Amino acid sequence: MKTLLHMQDLTKEYGKEKAVDSLTFSLLKNTSTALIGPNGAGKTTTLSMLAGLLKQSAGTIVFDGEITEDIQKVIGFLPQYPKFYSWLTALEFTEMAAKLSGVDAKIAKQEAEKTLEFVGLGDAKNKKTGTFSGGMKQRLGLAQAIVHKPSLLLLDEPVSALDPIGRREIMNLLKELQTTTTILYSTHILNDAEEMTDQLVFLRKGKLVEQGSMQEVREKYANPMYKIYFISTEEAAKFVEISPWPARQEDSIAFIHIEEEKPVMNEVLHVLAESHLSLLKVERATASLEEIFLQVVNNGE
Amino acid sequence: MDFESIPWMLILPLVVIQFILMLVAIIDLIRVSNTNGPKWLWALIIVLGNLIGPIIYFIIGRRNE
Amino acid sequence: MVSNFSILFQKEWRENVRNFKILWIPLVFLLFGITEPLTNYYLPQILNAVGNMPEGTVFPFPEFTPEQIVMSTVSQYQFIGMLVITLGFAGIISRERKNGTATFLYVRPISYTSYVYSKLSIMCILVVGSVILGLLANLYYTNVLFGAVDVGAFVGFLGTYIVWLLFVVSIVLFTSAAFSTAIASIISLALVLFVQFIDALLGAYWTISPWKIPMYAGYVLNGSVDKKPFIWSLIITLLAIVLLIFGAVYFAKRNISKTKI
Repeated sequence: MKTLLHMQDLTKEYGKEKAVDSLTFSLLKNTSTALIGPNGAGKTTTLSMLAGLLKQSAGTIVFDGEITEDIQKVIGFLPQYPKFYSWLTALEFTEMAAKLSGVDAKIAKQEAEKTLEFVGLGDAKNKKTGTFSGGMKQRLGLAQAIVHKPSLLLLDEPVSALDPIGRREIMNLLKELQTTTTILYSTHILNDAEEMTDQLVFLRKGKLVEQGSMQEVREKYANPMYKIYFISTEEAAKFVEISPWPARQEDSIAFIHIEEEKPVMNEVLHVLAESHLSLLKVERATASLEEIFLQVVNNGE
Repeated sequence: MDFESIPWMLILPLVVIQFILMLVAIIDLIRVSNTNGPKWLWALIIVLGNLIGPIIYFIIGRRNE
Repeated sequence: MVSNFSILFQKEWRENVRNFKILWIPLVFLLFGITEPLTNYYLPQILNAVGNMPEGTVFPFPEFTPEQIVMSTVSQYQFIGMLVITLGFAGIISRERKNGTATFLYVRPISYTSYVYSKLSIMCILVVGSVILGLLANLYYTNVLFGAVDVGAFVGFLGTYIVWLLFVVSIVLFTSAAFSTAIASIISLALVLFVQFIDALLGAYWTISPWKIPMYAGYVLNGSVDKKPFIWSLIITLLAIVLLIFGAVYFAKRNISKTKI
């Protein structure tokens, strides 16, 4: 598959702080990539550099085989909290966005109408954007980002402000776009990324800490483990101390990772019986996406 | 000065302009969702503030989004 | 990229129509243009009507020339008018950067020269248009109440005063491109009103200054202008306008990174 965009050692410094630190990864044509990380990991900064809102301190952006600093003609960008000129109607705004992105003035209005229809704002196209709800603003934000049919779509937390229904609807729209567009979006919720994402890029403190397909990440991190439920946090802590195997603890639950089917459950139960701790339950489980997320972004802490 | 000698043709435009200015300010006040400070206060300033009232409203009271 | 001036200008036009600036700014200048000759003409009667003057009291009111009335209108414009312009437009670039609406412009391949020119154009239309409207109404009232003003002199005066207005417009545009709305307001007010005041206070020591342009406009009206310092002030002012506009383009582009995302 062809590479659409490659960033090499992309870095953004604010004084001594590095918001983004030597970030290197590629986007393949018509695939989608999720930038995943907690708040402050550098997701927005990375997207802003690609969108031409910030200038990188170092590193290069290669688009379609050419080193360039100006990919604004071929991108669409949706900020996390889109803010609109309240005195423009949705149609006027989208038409302006289309024209400014180089859509022929003769067809701009028509394209704007089609796009608004696509995002589900067909009925509200002549309403002033000042009257729009949060969900409608997100849709309008998406409309202005795709009205000129960009080859790269950059979305900053496109669904995190929405309720579950709105989230599903926007995700479905993105899935539809994915067939013709390369998508890079940020999220701090891994579940959002599950269905439509070809590549996951995990960021922590501006650095890339893990990368791969959902499948690869799952295989790497979703090792089976024992979850041992204790009656209290103190009990769980005591167990982590005496455990013969590496163990970690979250509240009143202790975790032991199983590698190559070791340790076996009997051994664990034996240790537990000896310890005289107040046990509630032991189970064999695999990590949830949320746990994988925590594991990856906390790696090396 | 008696009533007859007042040059109404010269004063009328002044009254009309001032009235339009006040009207525009009031319409705007009704339409905008937010003002800096309570709306009723701005309504008072516009109506009672004579010539300056609407101007002060447009410069200070109106919150531009 | 093809010029996107007309698209950006359409946006500015719609904004200023829908927030009523297109109405209230001309009305304000019209109002002061009419009030000044009226109050000056009827001041004696007004004072007589409101004050309990003993019968037969006569105030020695000075006889105003028509030119003096026009210039006293300009001095109203120089204070209240300039206040309206600086505070009314201080956010013209900084506001959309601060509230994040400009993000949708800045992620697109727009020309920042067109961007600044679209702002400049709408300001010029509103400011210069309003002042011309106000001064023409003023001319009519002055004509009726105080006598004729020489048309040629008036045109020269108007042209000169428009240069001053362009200077003010470019100061506001530049500060709004370079700073936040609050700082832009303060610096614009200082440059337009405070420096004008200083120039009036200490300005006897020099003759060439942009802040003397309104005064020279008055001399043009009287036909008593000293050509050399006048021409030089005009040249300096026009140069400053060009520099300020270039600066506005530079800072508008440089401050993209300060846009709230």
